[in-house]
Amino acid sequence: MYEASIRKPLVTGNKTITDISDDICRPIENKPTKLWYLGFTISFIFLGIMGVSLAWTTWEGIGTWGVNKTIMWGWDITNFVFWVGIGHAGTLISAILLLFRQKWRMAINRSAEAMTIFAVMCAAIFPLFHMGRVWLGYWPLPLPNAFGSLWVNFNSPLLWDVFAISTYFSVSLLFWYLGLIPDIATVRDRATTKARKFWYGFFAMGWDGSARTWHRYEVVSLILAGVSTPLVLSVHTIVSFDFATSVIPGWHTTIFPPYFVAGAIFSGFGMVLTLLVIARSVLKLTDYITVEHLEAMTKVVMLTGSMVGLAYLTEFFIAQYSGVEYEQYAFLNRATGPYWWAYWTMMTCNLLAPQVFWFKWARTTPWFIFIMSIVVNIGMWFERFVIIVTSLHRDYLPSSWAMYSPTITEVGIFLGTMGLFFTCFFLFSKYLPVVNMSEMKSIVKSRE
Amino acid sequence: MKHALPYLEKPDNVTPGIPLYYATSCGVYNEGFPIVAKVREGRPIKLDGNDKSTLSNGGLDAIGQASILSLYDVNRLPNPLIKGVETNNWNEVDKEVINKLKAVSVEGKKIAVVTPSATGPVLQSAVNNFVNAYAGAEHISYDPISYSGILDANEASFGKRVIPNYQFSKADVIVSFGADFLGTWISPVRFQSDYSAKRVPTADNRKMSLHIQVESLLSVTGTNADHRFTMQDSQEGIYLMSLYNALAKNTGATQLRSTGDKELPGNGIKQIAEALLNAKGRSLVISKSNNKDHQVLVNHINMMLGNYGNAIDINKPYLSSTYSETKFEALVAGLQNGTFGGVVFVNTNPLYSYHNATALEKGLDNASVVISTSMVQDETSSKAAVHAPDNHFLESWDIKEPLKGHFVFSQPVMTRVFNTRQVIESLNIWAGSQVSSEEGSYKLVKEYFANNIGGDWKQAIHDGIAEVSTILSNVEGEIENAMLSLNSTVDVAAIESGAKKTGDLELILYQKVGPRDGTWSVNPWCHEMPDPVTKVCYDNYVTISKPDAEKLGIANGDMVSISSKNASIDKIPALVQPGQVRGTLGLAVGYGRNVNQKMDNDLRDLGHNAYPFVEMPGSSNSMVITSGIKIEKVGGNYEFALTQTHDTIEGRGHLREATLEEYKANPKVRNEHSHHLISLWNEHDLSTGHHWGMAIDMNACTGCGSCVVSCSIENNVPVVGRDEVRRRREMHWIRIDRYYSFGGSNGKSMTRQNDVDAASADLYEDVEVVYQPVMCQHCDHAPCETVCPVLATTHSSEGLNQMTYNRCIGTKYCGNNCPYKVRRFNWFRYNMNDKYDYHFNNELGRMVLNPDVTVRSRGVMEKCSFCVQNIQSAKLKAKKENRNLSDGDAQTACAKACPSNAIIFGDMNDPNSRISAIKKDERSYHMLEEVNTAPSVVYMTKIRNKK
Repeated sequence: MYEASIRKPLVTGNKTITDISDDICRPIENKPTKLWYLGFTISFIFLGIMGVSLAWTTWEGIGTWGVNKTIMWGWDITNFVFWVGIGHAGTLISAILLLFRQKWRMAINRSAEAMTIFAVMCAAIFPLFHMGRVWLGYWPLPLPNAFGSLWVNFNSPLLWDVFAISTYFSVSLLFWYLGLIPDIATVRDRATTKARKFWYGFFAMGWDGSARTWHRYEVVSLILAGVSTPLVLSVHTIVSFDFATSVIPGWHTTIFPPYFVAGAIFSGFGMVLTLLVIARSVLKLTDYITVEHLEAMTKVVMLTGSMVGLAYLTEFFIAQYSGVEYEQYAFLNRATGPYWWAYWTMMTCNLLAPQVFWFKWARTTPWFIFIMSIVVNIGMWFERFVIIVTSLHRDYLPSSWAMYSPTITEVGIFLGTMGLFFTCFFLFSKYLPVVNMSEMKSIVKSRE
Repeated sequence: MKHALPYLEKPDNVTPGIPLYYATSCGVYNEGFPIVAKVREGRPIKLDGNDKSTLSNGGLDAIGQASILSLYDVNRLPNPLIKGVETNNWNEVDKEVINKLKAVSVEGKKIAVVTPSATGPVLQSAVNNFVNAYAGAEHISYDPISYSGILDANEASFGKRVIPNYQFSKADVIVSFGADFLGTWISPVRFQSDYSAKRVPTADNRKMSLHIQVESLLSVTGTNADHRFTMQDSQEGIYLMSLYNALAKNTGATQLRSTGDKELPGNGIKQIAEALLNAKGRSLVISKSNNKDHQVLVNHINMMLGNYGNAIDINKPYLSSTYSETKFEALVAGLQNGTFGGVVFVNTNPLYSYHNATALEKGLDNASVVISTSMVQDETSSKAAVHAPDNHFLESWDIKEPLKGHFVFSQPVMTRVFNTRQVIESLNIWAGSQVSSEEGSYKLVKEYFANNIGGDWKQAIHDGIAEVSTILSNVEGEIENAMLSLNSTVDVAAIESGAKKTGDLELILYQKVGPRDGTWSVNPWCHEMPDPVTKVCYDNYVTISKPDAEKLGIANGDMVSISSKNASIDKIPALVQPGQVRGTLGLAVGYGRNVNQKMDNDLRDLGHNAYPFVEMPGSSNSMVITSGIKIEKVGGNYEFALTQTHDTIEGRGHLREATLEEYKANPKVRNEHSHHLISLWNEHDLSTGHHWGMAIDMNACTGCGSCVVSCSIENNVPVVGRDEVRRRREMHWIRIDRYYSFGGSNGKSMTRQNDVDAASADLYEDVEVVYQPVMCQHCDHAPCETVCPVLATTHSSEGLNQMTYNRCIGTKYCGNNCPYKVRRFNWFRYNMNDKYDYHFNNELGRMVLNPDVTVRSRGVMEKCSFCVQNIQSAKLKAKKENRNLSDGDAQTACAKACPSNAIIFGDMNDPNSRISAIKKDERSYHMLEEVNTAPSVVYMTKIRNKK
């Protein structure tokens, strides 16, 4: 069906439709591999570390972190923005690339969307637990309440965050689940055990594969894609407002919304690459997630990396051009102050490193791409650290200038969210089809 | 609060929720400083200066503020001790004491009553009774800090062994050789208010006094000086002689000597002499030296300048220090050789602060009986067979006479917390006098008042002070100022031989503003308050100049050992101090206390005792040690608990300063430019009702830190300890930013850290300092208010930026978005938490809490409220009296505490208020005006009296 002489096939290995079902369902229908067990156990231990660190924070107070009177946000909000950013690739792939009819997305959109959901879950932990009184974490919701006329502050970017993130999470979850229904039905239909038949049957919601069902499915997918598209832009725009609407030099910047969105997509693709390079070999999906896919994604990484790089240079220039001494100092301090290493890590990882993707070899060598994806993730984490910590640590009054370093508790929470993320991802790869079978079937050449 | 019970019978005048105020005196100054205690439901919760008194003018310093906590100190001895065993029966105590003392008397040995030199008349008469009752009894005074150099010099010069009354407000030129009169010297609160009166120029009167400081360490006073020259303290005599000669050349007096005069770096002597000659009769020269010869020379200089009768009043002297080391030295010797058999230590603790504590300890071990009356079990009381604890000063009746004819009364403001007895009663009982057990010291004080002072007793107690012109005190008669003449001669040879260099390094022992001489320093507020100059909390350290540090390879925070002939400290951190002269080390006394501590906190084993370094070169002790000083790096580094780690303003405009010349030409100097500000938002309508505002006069502020402690007490600000300060989490609602600039005397001052780092170490001596108190600015466009997701911080109709603790969920966004960084977060639970074992962690300590202010829970943000509770109570009071609020009715704790009136609070909508007038002053500006936060606090440009 999908053939063009100038393009390489999206699925290699002369797969048939049956092969697709067999290959993709194999992990679900068989016992997990030793590698899976190993990975899951490690992830679960880290999840446990998160539990302990969060419990300690809640029991003792935010004082268990390294934050102080000057730098009241540290690793917490750095990690929040980092995780939210990672989520963006999923939405971009499933929504925008769907609207643009980019067929190569079909092999990767499922796992990218799953990644989005898990990343947003990890992200949500930080704004919740960075609250001094986490047990009152529902107060920023505009709930009718018995506290009198208490209401939330619609001026506050944190409130916008609440709306943005919760909308984002709901839509992403819905979109992901919708796409899963036909595949869950496939697993149901192939099921050999009662339990599998029951549970997959329950979640398949009575999918019957009729033309009418397929039609409804296509329509809803398109609508959700339409709804998700602005979210790709809006969520990180609103996250950037946390900083852009403030008065702190280094935060108070109009360039933040596009810069954050580009950064989010950059980091999201970085993380998708990290996951898929592993997944395609561990789950033996190299025929579905081909080097072609990886190459397409590295191009996006290079493009968005250059965009954030441009943003870094622009804000640096504008700070000097503005004539505002505080802005000027904030940016010079980033590059030459006590946190210079963070700034230059960011610059190296985000602006310089992705330029290697100009070379075909770099774009088509999976192990190299894997290393580069880690570099991108590190770079983007440091970007958030640079923005948050180096802006706060030296703002207007030199008397209050301070330094910040994280405590073991903060490190524990961050590593713990990694544990949560990978635990979820391992469970996903065991229990759900990691590639969209129904869509893949539409792009294989052989129809028998 | 665990239990709330209604009164069964309501005491007279006590209405729950309404405070009562009693005038009394503060015991941390031996002088008896006039204060007013605020009492709620029978318990004192706040001390402020008594504004009826010219001694305080309403101000009170940090340690005075903090002293209220000593009333609720769990370390206080609850019952008397006999041989270490508690008893609740004072008769037993008295029997034991009288028997023991009689036995000593019978043995033919002498008995010493050791009191602070400032006894006040009532304690003095009790001591006299005691001395008369026992054969061989003797009254000996003991002060940790000695001013005997001044006393002896005045005895030599005028035949009167007194400290004269220094009146800084009468001096146009003040020259201080090392005397830290704004921080620790003699009577700093009084000096501060007196000094600052002449330090504030206005557009109508563009004048201010000229203050020149010559010193070795950078003192609080030195930081406030217009010109500061550095000298090594050993050379002080030479410089004084040089100054004398320079003045004598002009006045025609004979030169002291023909050769050997020395000039200070930067032509200091010449400049000082010029300034003094221009202000003859309107100047004041003082010196901290405890060397009689130096002080005689200072007297001669002042006499030559005609300062007696003007800035120096010898006829109404200061009576709170008459200490002479000779008698106490004799006591120590007598104890050792057995001539003294008994000692009664009346609120004195020489085993801590006496320079030769080992000798004293040996002596006390020899003595048949040692009695102590201190409130806590301290170093000296550990040797006492009988420990008969005195009342706290807030539980006592007393009369003090700090200045001749100026009486200050103490009255109890609450019933006794513990089973203690006032020492006045104890001494009288031990002397065999009949003391009514019911009326006790009340009767003694009242009788003394009737017999010796006279007048309306009730009014006197109500006012807390009485000024009597007739001479009643034990000081010799007045001398007509015109008749004043010097009987002394300057001993040039002695001064010259004293200034001989005997080593490379000198060690200067000094007092810090917080712990002072250490007597009252077991108090968390004295240590949580940063040192005004170094901004270090909790520790003492060796200060060292940068060139010396570089020479010795010592970096800031390196551990060093320091030793002299008499004493040594194995391990103490070194602090590289700008402004310190090379060749000199500084070390603060007041640390290394060893009291029986019931709380497990940072006050335990705090710092090192520096008193053993004190030397006795003659009849006066010396805190300037010029020979045998060794300092060595011993490895290891120490992290100071600093509240400020960046010392320069980086050329920014939030702190404005100008010279007097510039100000004379243009009172708007540095404030000419104003930003064109626009706002997207609708303004709050603050046109009706009150609009509270504050003004900070950086010319009046001396940086003393009194406001910081006052605010902490008023607003239940928790003490968080050294480690939390290191983590930059001190909770103070008001802080005093201290900025250095370097090289100012060359006219080109450096304010950027990079420039300073690049410059040579020599520059470090040439430092200028500005203090800028910062609290919540109560912005009318508050950046914190817009970002709170739950509206926990909002704007009041009176322009206050309010915190609603109950609503706060602790996102800390407000704190990040505050350009002034004044918001404080409760990182932990600081109350009833064993990890913060300060007064918030015990029932007794919590009695000091202000019931009008919430104790914040963990996880909420807090900050300065402009003492909204005081505003509210002032409004209620005015409403009940059916009148409008008048200026000054509502006061913040910081404004009330400030001894130099640097903080003015009031209603900006009241056209007649002081704050309204100040807002229009040419010197006023808003900090970070360009951010358009529209603050309610105005700062006033710092003016330095220099060219």
